Amino acid sequence: MSPSFRLGLFLMTTLSLLAACVFLVGREQLKFGSNYRVRSEFDSVSGLNDGADVRVGGIREGTVQSIVLPNRPDGKVTVSMDLSKETQAIVRQDSVASIQSAGLLGDKYVDISFGSVDAGKLKGGEKIASEPPLDVADLFHKANQLLDTGQGVLENIMGATDNLNLITGKINTGHGTIGKLINDSTLYQQASASVTSLHDDADAMKSNFLLRGFFKDRGYANPAEVKEHAVAQLPAQSPTKSFQYDPTKLFDKPDSAKLKNSKSLNVVGQYLQSEKFGLVVITASTGRTGDSVKERVLSEARGFVVRKYLVENYSLDDTRMKTRGLGKSPTAKEAGSIEILVYASAPAVPAKTSAKK
Amino acid sequence: MCHSMCGMATTVAPQPTLKDDVLAFLQPLRSAIEWTGDLGFFFWRVTKAVFSRPIEWAEFVRQLDAIGARSLTLVSLAGAATGAVLALQMRDSLARFGAKSMLPSVIVFSLIKETGPIITGLVVSGRVGAGIGAELGSMRVTEQIDAMEASAVDPHKYLVATRVLACIAALPLLTIAADFCGVFMGWIACTLVDPVPLRLFLSNGFHGVRFADILPPTFKTAIFGLIIGMVACFQGMRTRGGTEGVGRSATSSVVLSSLFIILADVVLVELIINIF
Repeated sequence: MSPSFRLGLFLMTTLSLLAACVFLVGREQLKFGSNYRVRSEFDSVSGLNDGADVRVGGIREGTVQSIVLPNRPDGKVTVSMDLSKETQAIVRQDSVASIQSAGLLGDKYVDISFGSVDAGKLKGGEKIASEPPLDVADLFHKANQLLDTGQGVLENIMGATDNLNLITGKINTGHGTIGKLINDSTLYQQASASVTSLHDDADAMKSNFLLRGFFKDRGYANPAEVKEHAVAQLPAQSPTKSFQYDPTKLFDKPDSAKLKNSKSLNVVGQYLQSEKFGLVVITASTGRTGDSVKERVLSEARGFVVRKYLVENYSLDDTRMKTRGLGKSPTAKEAGSIEILVYASAPAVPAKTSAKK
Repeated sequence: MCHSMCGMATTVAPQPTLKDDVLAFLQPLRSAIEWTGDLGFFFWRVTKAVFSRPIEWAEFVRQLDAIGARSLTLVSLAGAATGAVLALQMRDSLARFGAKSMLPSVIVFSLIKETGPIITGLVVSGRVGAGIGAELGSMRVTEQIDAMEASAVDPHKYLVATRVLACIAALPLLTIAADFCGVFMGWIACTLVDPVPLRLFLSNGFHGVRFADILPPTFKTAIFGLIIGMVACFQGMRTRGGTEGVGRSATSSVVLSSLFIILADVVLVELIINIF
């Protein structure tokens, strides 16, 4: 091998390799391909570097040529990018450049969106719109803010539970309205008194003209008073005189104690007024049908009503006039009966019916 | 010229005139300082020679052949071996981090930025440094250089400047060759394990490579060439002591140029990173 051949081989090989290297790297930087330049402005490029990829539709179609800081505080960072000519059909004037990262913490690259068909083509050197980059640092910052807010909420909730504690404490110790309501017995006493006066009011209402009719139809006002003069049983001796009445004729309805034919009682009244008597017992019974409790009350009420009529219309010694309600009586007639028994002498007044029956 | 050279040679190997212990202790330091000063004079003389007319083109091309072309095989083999080793080692390391797809990039970046240039520098300093040191040393001890000076030929111009320039020119070209052989062998080593097309390997490997990544590291080897040429010629030109001195010169040429290449590389890498 001659020295000339050897030197020639050395020079040709190495120089062609140098040239190949220049073109290999050059193609990488798209400096020698046919390309055009676009610019975009960002508030922050989030660590984008010179020579970073520019992707169009996810395909690497260019490189970032320069990143220039603004010369005024209100300016923006200008990123100049070289894109291959082939993308001119896709990237239009309304394309948007955004800085993305490959992976969460990976390399930064610029993504350029497809333009719309109507928008004009880029000739080179134009500025396109930009989208602020989603920085991981920003993400963490936002997460931090969120956590702060969450902490604030928790603090509020804790404050609220503290207040609740305070309130329940006050209730326990009898402070405040609810505390008094729960702890103070005066209120109960007052409420109790109110109910009592309500009873009085209810009594007054019964004599009120609007409601009077109801009680009038029933024949008596207060279920309690019908047993006021009741006796449990008849005296042992036989009565000197007795009057029998049919309840269906004497009273308005089968289930009421309202007198219909009160004049028929006048015979009894006149007799009692003229004759001296020791005791009168008005015994009432209802028929064989009906609810026994209701029928007992009805029978007692009927006796009471008859006594009341006699006492109010004739001058009689009402302390010697008693009533006796038998209620539902299997032995009585179909519609029951009203029997007024008169005893001439005054036997021992039988005991009052016990309240518990 | 001869007088100054002889004077220099005398001062470089001084006789111990002072018996003071302290001075004896400082003798190696003093030698190093004197060596550096001599190298400075030598550098200045060669620089003047390089820029003085006429340029010795014929000798330059002859040296380019001897230094560049004859080193091509050696450098290519060294580069190829380095590329293969990188591929095999990095495959294992990167797989451990789940970054095996970065293998072509790692091979290419590693080769073009540092491994290619430093391997080329060291290999050439071994082969060429020893050659120059021995050649000039034997010319010195056989008084050929003295004869050259007597016939009004400047040995710094004819012998030294041409060799230094040839080293400066050859090193970057050899580095490119080493880089390519390394990348190619790297691809072969990768393909043997896991077949990948060369096109894909290159496009992956050179993805993101800029001129700033490849040209400064390649052309910094011109500095390595300067160091090899200067140190080897200096050591050869100041050879003393017959055949034994020639051997010493050859050895010290290789040792010193290799050392200075590595030291210079530290500074150059930092410089290149900051500039580009």
